[in-house]
Amino acid sequence: MGSLDSYLPIFVLLVLGVLFAALSIGVSRLLGPRRPHAAKGAPYECGIVPTNELPRRFPVRFYLIAMIFVIFDIEIIFLFPWAVIYDQLGRFGLVEVIVFAGAVFVSFIYLVADGALDWGPARRARSFGSEPGRTTESAVRRVGAAGGRAE
Amino acid sequence: MTPFAALAPAGLAIPHIDYTALLPELILLGGVLVLIGVSAMTPRRLPTGVYATMTVAIAAAALVASLRLWRDVQNHGAFTTVAHSVDVDGFAVYFLVLVSCILIVAAIIGSGYLRREGIAGCEYYALALISGSGAMLMASANDLIFIFLALEVLSIPLYVMAGFDRRRPTSQEAAIKYFVLGAFSSAVFVYGIALVYGATGSTNLPEIGAFLAHNVITANGVLLAGIALLIVGFSFKVAAVPFHMWTPDVYQGAPTPVTGFMAALAKAGGFAAFLRVFVATFPTLRGDWQPVIWALAALTLVGGAIVALAQRDVKRMLAYSSINHAGFVLIGLQAVTTKGVAASAYYLFAYAFMVLGSFAVVGVVGAKGDRRHDLEAYRGLAARNPVLATVFSVLLLAQAGVPFTTGFFAKFYVIAASVGAHSYALAVVAMASAAIAVFFYLRVVLLMYSTQPADPGDEATTPGPAGGGVATLVRIPVGRLVVQPSIALGLAVSVGVTVVFGVWPQPLIDFTRAATFIFH
Amino acid sequence: MSAHAVAVGLGAVAGQRAFPFLTALVLTPVGAALVALVLPRRAVWAIRAVGVAGALAVLGIAAAVLDEFRAGFGGYQMVSVHPWVGSLGISWSLGIDGISLFLVLLSALLFLLALAGAGERTNVKSFTIWILLLEAACLGSFCSLDVLLFFLFFETTLVPVYFIIVGWGHEKRNHAAMKFFIYTFTGSAMMLVGIVALVSIHAGQTGVTTFDIRQLVQTHLSGTAGVLLLLAFTAAFAVKAPIFPFHTWSPDAYREAPVAGSVLMAGVTAKLGTYGIVRFDLGLFPHATVVLAPVFLTLGVAGIVYGAIVAAVQKDLKRLVAYSSLAHIGFIVIGAFALTGESVSGAVLQMVNHGLITAALFLLVAMIYRRRQTMNVAHLGGLQRRAPVMAATFAVVVLASIGVPGLNGFVGEFLILAGTFLTHRWWAVVAVAGVVLAAVYLLWAYQQIFHGPERESERDKPFRDLTWREGAVLAPLIVLIVAMGVYPRPVLDRITPSVDQLITHVEQVAHPNIPRVGQPEPTTHTEVAK
Repeated sequence: MGSLDSYLPIFVLLVLGVLFAALSIGVSRLLGPRRPHAAKGAPYECGIVPTNELPRRFPVRFYLIAMIFVIFDIEIIFLFPWAVIYDQLGRFGLVEVIVFAGAVFVSFIYLVADGALDWGPARRARSFGSEPGRTTESAVRRVGAAGGRAE
Repeated sequence: MTPFAALAPAGLAIPHIDYTALLPELILLGGVLVLIGVSAMTPRRLPTGVYATMTVAIAAAALVASLRLWRDVQNHGAFTTVAHSVDVDGFAVYFLVLVSCILIVAAIIGSGYLRREGIAGCEYYALALISGSGAMLMASANDLIFIFLALEVLSIPLYVMAGFDRRRPTSQEAAIKYFVLGAFSSAVFVYGIALVYGATGSTNLPEIGAFLAHNVITANGVLLAGIALLIVGFSFKVAAVPFHMWTPDVYQGAPTPVTGFMAALAKAGGFAAFLRVFVATFPTLRGDWQPVIWALAALTLVGGAIVALAQRDVKRMLAYSSINHAGFVLIGLQAVTTKGVAASAYYLFAYAFMVLGSFAVVGVVGAKGDRRHDLEAYRGLAARNPVLATVFSVLLLAQAGVPFTTGFFAKFYVIAASVGAHSYALAVVAMASAAIAVFFYLRVVLLMYSTQPADPGDEATTPGPAGGGVATLVRIPVGRLVVQPSIALGLAVSVGVTVVFGVWPQPLIDFTRAATFIFH
Repeated sequence: MSAHAVAVGLGAVAGQRAFPFLTALVLTPVGAALVALVLPRRAVWAIRAVGVAGALAVLGIAAAVLDEFRAGFGGYQMVSVHPWVGSLGISWSLGIDGISLFLVLLSALLFLLALAGAGERTNVKSFTIWILLLEAACLGSFCSLDVLLFFLFFETTLVPVYFIIVGWGHEKRNHAAMKFFIYTFTGSAMMLVGIVALVSIHAGQTGVTTFDIRQLVQTHLSGTAGVLLLLAFTAAFAVKAPIFPFHTWSPDAYREAPVAGSVLMAGVTAKLGTYGIVRFDLGLFPHATVVLAPVFLTLGVAGIVYGAIVAAVQKDLKRLVAYSSLAHIGFIVIGAFALTGESVSGAVLQMVNHGLITAALFLLVAMIYRRRQTMNVAHLGGLQRRAPVMAATFAVVVLASIGVPGLNGFVGEFLILAGTFLTHRWWAVVAVAGVVLAAVYLLWAYQQIFHGPERESERDKPFRDLTWREGAVLAPLIVLIVAMGVYPRPVLDRITPSVDQLITHVEQVAHPNIPRVGQPEPTTHTEVAK
């Protein structure tokens, strides 16, 4: 079982991590002062008593932007090691990176054409599906109504 | 730059890459870029048929490239490339051909469905091509890491495709379920890779095989645990009982042509890697894993067939039937012989066309909205659409294993492989499950040819599209179903392959017999 | 493939290229079915004509086969071997011997009658196509010398029969069709495993993977392996025949099928089971057959008695015929497993006789049904006065079924009982009781239908005697029933050599220590040009 020896540092690190977390929580529990109070548990300490849960609304676009960001971030991450050993890779590396960048670029054009970066009410080049009369506004209104807000 | 230069290894060896050997995959991926590029550059949306035609052309080009590769392999022998992590042998190229065929048929069938549902865009086709390239890479991968990457390339587009019909909650549910369980199984798979690597010191299949052949590991707990996890990971992908729980929900929820594509492609890709890893790499340990596969196969055969009996929804029923089919393919794996591998490969080929065709019919019967999948929707179909009913009967009987179809020879071949490996009991279990399976295939056939109406109105009620959060019931009059020309073409191809190679199986059987691994 | 096509007429000089009779026999109905397929649905007359012409052509070819057949020779004749799936050892090899010859003729005749006389009015196109495909499958099964080819045809018969029951059957057709398909499919699923196992054992012994029965008979099987394989094969045959207690699908299926379906199922496809027993069980597993013979003899006798008793209490005419059929199959089974030359010859002959008699009975029942819309014996009576010709015909068939001397049923049953008596006395004794019971229920039914007073409610309704068309359909059957009863010699001359050869083979393998002299070659060698 000599092959398992190399796992020892990982195991030690794991134990250390668990210990550290347990220690942090345990110590703060033991040493910290605890004076619970009803007002402290309320969402708004300034005095407004919440009556019902509000629908949490924010545009799904945020997610899209975040995902697109991740994709381009990864492109950069790929470019970085290539740049570091550019000399050794030579022409092969250059061609590979151009192909890679080209693929990402085509995807980018696709995203732009699809309206993924448009902000605001729908002006998308191609809508998904064919439901007539369905716009961003109508969707917003419906979500609002479903959320139970009194008009 | 200078501070980082020290990090670079001195004298980096760039592996030799034989691009012609990777041509089919490269064609598919290049085709994806062309597809999305075209879709981005055209201001007005193109009809779905344009994308379908392009996809068929791309897949046909991949098919031609694969066949050329087949000729090279048969004439000049198998070889590896990209530092031995890609195998180009008969087995791999067989699956390249199969995947190309699946893509062609799926594109043809899908276009009719998308037109009917009014879903525009190139996404279906692009995702199918990416997934296809993943399946191809799975078949040729010769390295566990590479298999994992290919598995993800195969799976991720399928998750998206399952949730493709955004307007249907079931489709979304299918996508989420498939994604979560798929990601989970991938994690299990990676853990298995890690353990195998830990035990053998390599992720490269031939190196692992050589290590196991030359070393006797006395305490092989880590290795066996790794193999067990690999089995679990693969079993998830190919939907073997007891790792099949996602299958019925996903097959039911996904848009119907996607279900057919998914069933054909994921099984082909998953089993290709499953067979290569276990038969070509771990034959020395067969004493340890063969009984596990035996049990898996038996459970899958019987479980799939029995649970299918209770289904009212045809898509769920076919999902369980596909589980039953997975059991048959596992029999070929369980044999651990060249014949067994050939039998499994044949089964996957036959199954691909049967399942693509079957789900195409289900998609047609589902009508606009893709909702009518209850058994009752099939009542009296023969009177309304006689040709469609005949086609579906042929496909279902072929799945049941009736002679003069590929389905029969597929079953015969795996049974022969199983008996050849002295697994008589498994052969009996398999045929018993086939006999059970006949019941639910025939039930559909019976309904189609039944002339007794269920209710006098002869109308079916299905939940309509949700309006304002309230589901309303709309009555869809049962009339003659419209079969899109492209779907008719796809069905003709599926039935043609099923029947022609059922009557004249010689070429396909020779093809599978030549589809062998390179044993290093 | 066709480039290798070779037909070797064994009756003539070996290697001489002869007309491939058997291939033509199998493919003619398929061709006719294809022609019918392309005809428009409305062209009912043309479709019927194509169907009848196809069946007539088959009968013609079958007659030519009979003419070509060399009597007194026990081996396979008119052998034609074409490689089909060469890499798996499967070949298109057809051949015929005394055991299959008359079954082929019987099939050719009954299919013609089914198409010409028992045709359905609705959806003629599909009906004709299914019947023709069933004919091809049945003829293919009888002629196959390749075990897998036999299995393919054997299994294929399920599909047309299923669709015939579903499409044109009576009220409970769906249930009956489903039951039929699942029972028979389960049986043959076991047989497939058996076939593969046998071939694999043979390949292990000789290194040759082949499904050719002429080579597989030489496989050496251990006692257990032989018994297991025999059981696997017999699972298919016992369901198909059907042998008691695997018969429960058959009364339902026979009852609910349209008349053509009942005639063909009881007349032809049931014979696939009994034929399979004689050809494959006896031929391939002689030792196991000897070991298990008492079991199957008991089942056969149980079938005779059970079938007779249950038939006696049936009110429904079709079910009555179905149970009487079960009893007759019981006779064939004991004949086959008694393993004497007489009994097996009798069994083969009785297969043909039973086909003729049951077909005639089902046709007659259908004719009554067409007139009265009932198959219930209790609703019929006194029809003899209205339809004397029909009554006479019915009487002849019933007497043949009972086994009255001078009619064909007697010859077969006599040979079976005589042969069985030699080796298995007590089984024969009980079986004789079955003959008496058969007389009871059949004569009782005849009496109910044709004698006595007419029912009050039925008195005013008309009841036609046999029409010319119906007479023409029944005539060949009646002629053969009488002819084979009076002069069975030509038939037996052709059956006996093959049966003797089979029995010699069985005894040789099962009791290898007993020396024998003057035995014929167990198998004939065929030269196959590549």
